[in-house]
Amino acid sequence: MAVLSLNNICFSYKDTPVLNDVSYDFERGKMYCIIGKSGAGKTTLLSILSGLAKPKSGSIMYDGRNIKKIDKYKFRSKYIGVIFQSFNLITKFTALENVILSMNIAGYRQQKKRDKALELLKSVGLDENEANRRVLKLSGGQQQRVAIARALSYDAEIILADEPTGNLDSETQNEIMAIFRALADSGKCVILVSHSPEVAAMCDEKYELIKYSKKTKK
Amino acid sequence: MYIIKNAFKCIGRSRGRNILIGVIVFVIAVSACIGLSIRQAAESAKSDTLEGLTVTATISFDRQKAMNDIIQNAENDNSSENSGRPSFDRDKFSDFMGESSSLTLDEYKKYAEAKSVKDFYYSISTSFNGNDDFLPVSNDSSSDDEDTSSETESNRGPGGFFQPPEDIRNQMMGAQSDFTVVGYSSEEAMTSFIDGTATIVDGSVFTEGTSDAECIISQELANYNSIAVDDTITLENPNNEDESYEFTVVGIYTDSSSNESSFSIMGATSTDPANSIYTSYAALHTILDASGENSETVTDDTTGREFSTEIKSTLSATYVLSDVDSYNKFTEEVRELGLDESYNVTSSDISSYESSLVPLETLSKLAGYFLIVVLLIGAVILIVLNIFNIRERKYEIGVLTAMGMKKFKVALQFLTEIFVVTIVAVIVGVGVGGVSSVPVTNALLENQVAAESNQFNKIEENFGRPGNMIPNGNMVPNDMPQAQNGRPGNFFDENEVTDYINEIDEAMNLTVVFQMLGIAVLLTIVSGAVSMLFIMRYDPLRILANRD
Ligand SMILES: Nc1ncnc2c1ncn2[C@@H]1O[C@H](COP(=O)(O)OP(=O)(O)O)[C@@H](O)[C@H]1O
Ligand SMILES: [Mg+2]
Repeated sequence: MAVLSLNNICFSYKDTPVLNDVSYDFERGKMYCIIGKSGAGKTTLLSILSGLAKPKSGSIMYDGRNIKKIDKYKFRSKYIGVIFQSFNLITKFTALENVILSMNIAGYRQQKKRDKALELLKSVGLDENEANRRVLKLSGGQQQRVAIARALSYDAEIILADEPTGNLDSETQNEIMAIFRALADSGKCVILVSHSPEVAAMCDEKYELIKYSKKTKK
Repeated sequence: MYIIKNAFKCIGRSRGRNILIGVIVFVIAVSACIGLSIRQAAESAKSDTLEGLTVTATISFDRQKAMNDIIQNAENDNSSENSGRPSFDRDKFSDFMGESSSLTLDEYKKYAEAKSVKDFYYSISTSFNGNDDFLPVSNDSSSDDEDTSSETESNRGPGGFFQPPEDIRNQMMGAQSDFTVVGYSSEEAMTSFIDGTATIVDGSVFTEGTSDAECIISQELANYNSIAVDDTITLENPNNEDESYEFTVVGIYTDSSSNESSFSIMGATSTDPANSIYTSYAALHTILDASGENSETVTDDTTGREFSTEIKSTLSATYVLSDVDSYNKFTEEVRELGLDESYNVTSSDISSYESSLVPLETLSKLAGYFLIVVLLIGAVILIVLNIFNIRERKYEIGVLTAMGMKKFKVALQFLTEIFVVTIVAVIVGVGVGGVSSVPVTNALLENQVAAESNQFNKIEENFGRPGNMIPNGNMVPNDMPQAQNGRPGNFFDENEVTDYINEIDEAMNLTVVFQMLGIAVLLTIVSGAVSMLFIMRYDPLRILANRD
């Protein structure tokens, strides 16, 4: 059964329609790719999936429940982990602090948050020295890793990632993709948004998002 | 709680901004602290002075009101004449004063029944002349003349202040005379002997309540006339040379206040404390009764007014009240007991207490305004700073809410940050304010006292008498025989330069600390409310999208 599904989603920014009648299903244990050209509305779709934007029409179901009926803060902080295209880290905090903050917001109960956070950061390729550096002083690639570590920190069932490999060289890209693979294999639902066919090829399933224009469908 | 940890982290990470806010709050805190301390000092000075203040009150005729009433009536009567300035009807006034100005002893006693009255005593004050063997102490050689009831004295007191016309004065207190003889109802009434201003140096005080003509006289007077204890003195009715009375001197006293030469400028010999003769009320009353029986009515050659040769006397009664509350109760009770509106209850203790507080209270009032201004300006600055702060941290708010942090928690974090910075600045401010509040208050107070005294001196310069404010604003001329303080021999006590409270030793106390805490919370709420408003309004998607 689908853990997350979009049913006939329509969305527009004021007068400019972006999404028209989008219906996707996402299941646990699988890695999905939403592929589309720049400006197709991938990020917009991701905002809707993460509950930050409300669709004009259509519904989003989480585990068979309409997310309208779920507390949006709980949904954002516990059920889904989002890796934003622009990372959205607190830049005056260190990498470690960003990860721990997410755990705190999620109400994540574990004694050794710091240890787990460091472990996570290490798994995405940041050593302790880098983990204790302020985000402002990390490179784009490093920031992306922090964002990934943060999304994974509270064991959300669904991982959403907006161009997660955009700033990475192919070697690290493969490392990161391996992490997502492992997550999917462990039973999580991983949804990647990308313009890269290379990434799409590594996924179990892909949905193609086509830029909305008059009377285009599917 | 991670929100608090976050708040502290955020304070540390934006030191510059927080130091700026801190400095502003610090300045507000120091100013507010000094302002509050001044108010507190005024408050404590008030209650400290009030404690242990036994209030004595007197009932006096409101002359100002009577005059106004007469003027009012004259205006109404003369409205057709349109003479511009209403003319003052002196005849009417003197009738008025003569008939109704003083209460009778029975009336005084009636008001003494009021529950609030702790003790009650009275005295009667009269004027007598001496004779060749017994002369008043005087600096003025002309008054050596036994008949000093000077027709030549003008109606102008020293410095030109208006005094009632001669005939009114005569009617009220007898002609200008040599001695003031005061009869006391009880020993309590002899306040100057109780408070230590006067002491018996030879003999003893007359027997309390005696109707024998026993008296005590001042040492100056005794020396001047070579009188010793057990000698007899003869006093004459100033209105009738043929009427005289004998007193036995049973004691001689010194009055420290009589050494002050300033009294002699007042002209009237009888008002010199050295020329005060004290006896018991009963003894004096017996004499007055006798004088009343002997009296005849004569017509004054110059004014044509008729008056009795009876010895004029002024009765004054003093009510002792245990505290200011009782005093306030007393002022109401006397009305219930039927005291006419044209009489006022006054208390020199309270008026001197009040005037001693004037500079401090003025300062306190100014401090209050200052406090309001400082807080208002401070609040505006903090609000503006917080708006900038919030706008700058929009993105942070967006991230936190996108991460699923509830908006009220974000707001709470921001509020905590503001509160911590504010409270630290306030604590430092209270410390600095506490240390500086006493010297600052005293310096300000010194200025205020100087300003007040200056005004006092101006009054003296312009009106020829010390400015003596009675609580209701009536100016009481110095030579009114109504003893405001139950010490008829010593009308001048009140006019001594007011002993202003001109120093405080402790301004800060727990109340001020709590008030400052309140101010800290208030400032946090005021500036925090703006943050809240912005945080609640922000949509994370829009903030995050705008950044791309
Ligand atoms: N906040 C916004 N307001 C108005 N239009 C927007 C906004 N964000 C994106 N768009 C428009 O919506 C379309 C989809 O954008 P986006 O979802 O970011 O595409 P993608 O992520 O696929 O590149 C684009 O044409 C973009 O210009
Ligand atoms: Mg995008």
